[in-house]
Amino acid sequence: MGMSLVFGIGILTFCIGALGVLLRKNAIVMFLCIELMLNGANILFVGVSKFKGLVEGQAIVLFVMAVAAAEAAIGMAIITAFYRRRGGVEVDKADLMRW
Amino acid sequence: MGAEVLYTAVTVLLGLLILATGLGVVFLKNPVHAALSLLANLCATAVLYLSVLSAPFVAIVQVIVYMGAVVVFVLFVIMLVNIRPNEITERFFTPRLVLSIAAVVVFAVQVLLVNALVKGKWHPTAYVHAGDLAKVLFTKYALLFELVSVLIFAAAVGAVALAKKRM
Repeated sequence: MGMSLVFGIGILTFCIGALGVLLRKNAIVMFLCIELMLNGANILFVGVSKFKGLVEGQAIVLFVMAVAAAEAAIGMAIITAFYRRRGGVEVDKADLMRW
Repeated sequence: MGAEVLYTAVTVLLGLLILATGLGVVFLKNPVHAALSLLANLCATAVLYLSVLSAPFVAIVQVIVYMGAVVVFVLFVIMLVNIRPNEITERFFTPRLVLSIAAVVVFAVQVLLVNALVKGKWHPTAYVHAGDLAKVLFTKYALLFELVSVLIFAAAVGAVALAKKRM
């Protein structure tokens, strides 16, 4: 019982993050929703680690966190550069290659 | 039996908190409010790791790295790009809302069905402390650990290069 509850929390968190990425236009909020998706994946990893009795799941969560931190640095630099060029952070302002 | 009920109750409560703050990230208009809602979400997740999933080290790293570094970084960038509240023109009730909710619900139902159907033998573990984690991290995943340091160095250099005025 406990495990499918925890996995359900992780899956639904991932889905809410995916909904935000599809729905929002503000690049910063889209970035926050990507963090939400990574968080859902982390909940699943730690849940498997708990219920299977493996330590490796938690080690992988640490790597996911490191990658998320690197991604935050790059993403925020891209957003500030985009704001300087286009005067806004809405993603529909990036229409250079639009058909 | 009482401990089982308490365990389930804590899980449900934290799960509801995590989902509510997650919906707050998606549906709050002001990016600052969304970032603060993500902060609450990460805090509830850290409590979930600590209390339900018996992973104290991951909970502490979550608080330090996510809540301490990433969210503060995002708030700094919101301050830098200077969005005024009257410039927020985003609308939610568009055809896109229906389409994205449909796509996400189809995905969620499939994965939740798989989750409900899979049965297996489970071996719940005791607390995983930093020492147990370090044994795996510095033997089995030692190469990966070194590669992560290279990745973070490259990300730092790349962020500085992207943030320069002239490229």
